[in-house]
Amino acid sequence: MSASPHTRPLAALGRGDSPAFGGKSATLGELIAAEIPVAPGFALSTTAFHAFVREAGLDGKIARELALVSPGDVDSVVSASHAIGEAMRSAPVPEAVRAEIAAAYGALADEAGIAEPPVAVRSSALGEDGEDATYAGQLESYLWVRGAGHVCDAVRDCWVSLFGPPAIAYRAHVGQDEPAMGVAVQLMVDAEVSGVLFTCNPMSGDPSMVAVNASWGLGLAVVGGEVTPDDFLVSKVTGEVVRERVHDKDVEYVPDAAGRGAVRAEVPEERRGLACLDRTALEALVEVGRRVERAFGSHQDVEWAIARGRELPEGLVVLQARPVTGLPGRHPPSGNDTAMGLVMSMFGAADAKG
Amino acid sequence: METAAPVGSFPSPYEVGTPPGCEGWEDLYPYYALFDEERREADEKRFWFWNSMHFPLPMPAFDAICIDTAYQALGTWQNRVFAVPPAMGIDYRCINGYIYISGNPVTDPEKIAERAGHFQQRAGYYFEHWDELYGAWRTKMEALIAELEALEVPALHELEPDEVAFGDQETSFCAVLDAYRNVLRLADLMWQNHFEFLLLGYGAYVTFTELCKTHLPDIPDQHIAQMVAGLDVLLFRPDAELRRLARLAIDTEVDAAFVEGRTAAEIESELAESERGRDWLAELEAVKDPWFHMATGDGLYHYYGSWLDDPTIPYASLTGHIAALRAGEEIERPTDHVATERDRLAAEYGALLDDEARKGFDDLLALSRTVFPYVEEHKFLCDYWFLTTWWNKLRAFGALLSEHGFLEDGEDVFQLSRLEVYSALDELLLTWATGGQPRGPLYWPPIVAKRKALLERLADWTPPPAVGAVPEAILDPALIMLWGVTTQRVHAWAQADEDGSSIDGTPASPGVVEGVARVVRNVRELGDVREGEILVCSITSPAWAPIFSKIQAAVTDIGGVMSHAAIVCREYALPAVVGTGRATSQIRTGQRIRVDGSAGSVTLLE
Repeated sequence: MSASPHTRPLAALGRGDSPAFGGKSATLGELIAAEIPVAPGFALSTTAFHAFVREAGLDGKIARELALVSPGDVDSVVSASHAIGEAMRSAPVPEAVRAEIAAAYGALADEAGIAEPPVAVRSSALGEDGEDATYAGQLESYLWVRGAGHVCDAVRDCWVSLFGPPAIAYRAHVGQDEPAMGVAVQLMVDAEVSGVLFTCNPMSGDPSMVAVNASWGLGLAVVGGEVTPDDFLVSKVTGEVVRERVHDKDVEYVPDAAGRGAVRAEVPEERRGLACLDRTALEALVEVGRRVERAFGSHQDVEWAIARGRELPEGLVVLQARPVTGLPGRHPPSGNDTAMGLVMSMFGAADAKG
Repeated sequence: METAAPVGSFPSPYEVGTPPGCEGWEDLYPYYALFDEERREADEKRFWFWNSMHFPLPMPAFDAICIDTAYQALGTWQNRVFAVPPAMGIDYRCINGYIYISGNPVTDPEKIAERAGHFQQRAGYYFEHWDELYGAWRTKMEALIAELEALEVPALHELEPDEVAFGDQETSFCAVLDAYRNVLRLADLMWQNHFEFLLLGYGAYVTFTELCKTHLPDIPDQHIAQMVAGLDVLLFRPDAELRRLARLAIDTEVDAAFVEGRTAAEIESELAESERGRDWLAELEAVKDPWFHMATGDGLYHYYGSWLDDPTIPYASLTGHIAALRAGEEIERPTDHVATERDRLAAEYGALLDDEARKGFDDLLALSRTVFPYVEEHKFLCDYWFLTTWWNKLRAFGALLSEHGFLEDGEDVFQLSRLEVYSALDELLLTWATGGQPRGPLYWPPIVAKRKALLERLADWTPPPAVGAVPEAILDPALIMLWGVTTQRVHAWAQADEDGSSIDGTPASPGVVEGVARVVRNVRELGDVREGEILVCSITSPAWAPIFSKIQAAVTDIGGVMSHAAIVCREYALPAVVGTGRATSQIRTGQRIRVDGSAGSVTLLE
């Protein structure tokens, strides 16, 4: 057994670590291996979650509460969620896990050169990447967390979110039990602009396009649908901006002035209607998108941020990547897809008589 | 094929009024070219659009031959030779001198299936033997041009020549009418040749476009065009020769003669004074045939002559190239870049497709590149070289008529229809033979004067982009391929907000610029274009190439991504929006506009 059984640097993870560390952490490890810029950090294994549940003696409580849930009965879901959450929040994080988190956080602090660097504490769901996508929006992330103690609290809050009403309802629906999760802890990126990019046009399925949604501040506003983001469609082949729709972006999430947590703020009038990405930024995004697509060998939905006051492309950081689901279907071959067959159908001569 | 419930409307062709002072315009055109009461019920239900791509200006009576003969040939090849399954030919009607066209669909599924069999057989043969057939076509076209150039219009002397009296030469009566019938016959043949390959050539290209859009739904049209377009394009040769001559002028130190603002004659007379200058002129002379057979406009009107008829454009171009060379600028067409980019785009897009789609993509790209030389070269051979030569032959008949008082000026021959010219020649030959008094000199000049005045007034009228019914869908391959008239575009026309500050068209060459508009409604206004302006026109011709070095963007009423404006703008890396339907009627010269060649939009900024 290693000296730190519950944590590992993100850079040391690969796809095979997904069952132990969750899809998000494993993906971040793979992105780092592909030399794609990712904020440094460490991952917590599901062993930490299991240790927590076991040492606090919560196994029985959780099983009992979940047994009372009947899928489709919202009240039973909410009541189980509430009871489990209450019990988890009042249980301590095991000492061994706390010590490992403190050590890993300390190493991050050294890397950042700050005593108590702000970090993002993010849920990393178990199972395949696709499942992570299904969980999207159900599992919590905590931003701008400072100090080892607060990181531990945020880790526990992530675990609690595994028993949020939507997550319970979803698992009851698909018949899955014995949930577990990993957690990723990364140095916080003070995002001036952030958003999502797809390595294809998710609406049309066009693989030659990169579709970008972007807004001011941290990614919450875009992912949570709180603003209508600026919308760009950029050709991978030539870098041309094929479509550009700039919207009024009236809110953004910024670090709290008190130094902990992120707060929702109004975007000053003069900045709302400005395009939040210029050509240089789009170029950097397309480049990163292409590299992520290449690294994973399929179309990816990539969360990203551009750090305040940093030059591009160095200032661009990838926060998460997952396969694009629900693309429009491929056109089935008609059986007459030879060049001449296609020309004939263009002239309406596909179905000749006799 | 996309369909949508049509929204908006077009005026009925029967409700479009005659502009004041233009009464009687109908007399210029054949009886069948009008929206008549007899066919009202059917014609009102049809969709007719203004063919401003080929006929942006009111048609002179003689020039209407380019409608009749061209649509005769289009119909023959599309309907009677290849039997394109869903579409027969194209009907036209004239309103206030402007030409509206409408396709004749085949609607019976049985009939369509039957035609499909013929089409597969006949078109399949053409595609299979393309290079061989196209090679023969070029030979045939060059022979036709040679025959036209050799055609002579006999003069009428006091006495018939000795060869008639003592030899077996035919009399002038027969010789003149033969020559006239011949000149018409050669045009018939040219138009038949013109349409022999046209639909199939565009068809392969449009199929490739559709394949790209199926698998790459957001691919900009210009990338498709860039992947297909030829490198050694005939249409770019004339300007390439001018660039060569510009370099020669500098190398042989005769470039001082090329001063901006000087006429061609002034430059030539200075060159003729020195030996080196005369050497340069000899080199120019050698280039003229065939490269000066470029037209100054798009060829379908008699007043679009060639560079031989009016060397203003080539000389302006030479002067510009020489000035650029002196300033140390690069004037070469970036052929290497075009070639590299063409192959890079094809490779990158191909790599994005799965294996099955990749096969169709590669094969259709290869087929498109095979057929494309025709699409680009027929323009030079048919529309420019043949037609500019042909109009000059008709001028010889005009000269004959004016010599005998039937016309005040030889150029007036174009104010009569081709049948009226025949009739005037008939009478001229009759009275010349009999020695009697001809009525023609009293009869034709007032008609000519009236028609010239009418055409001038009609030129100020702005035709609506379409009349008749709004179609649910455009299914005619010819309309889609040749005119870029799609369901979407037609519906946009029907919904056009007349007071809108924005005009949408087809994105044809990428980039965004703001600048001052210059609306050019005919070739004579080209000289008004100033450095840095945005050209707004019905359609441009490659012969306008020299002014593309002056402008910063182009906007046209009609045309798709393969229209000449689009091709030339991509060459010059200027933004272009084509097929707007109404740019020339909604934009004023001097107005500030923004052209977004990537989005296909034009914004009126004031």
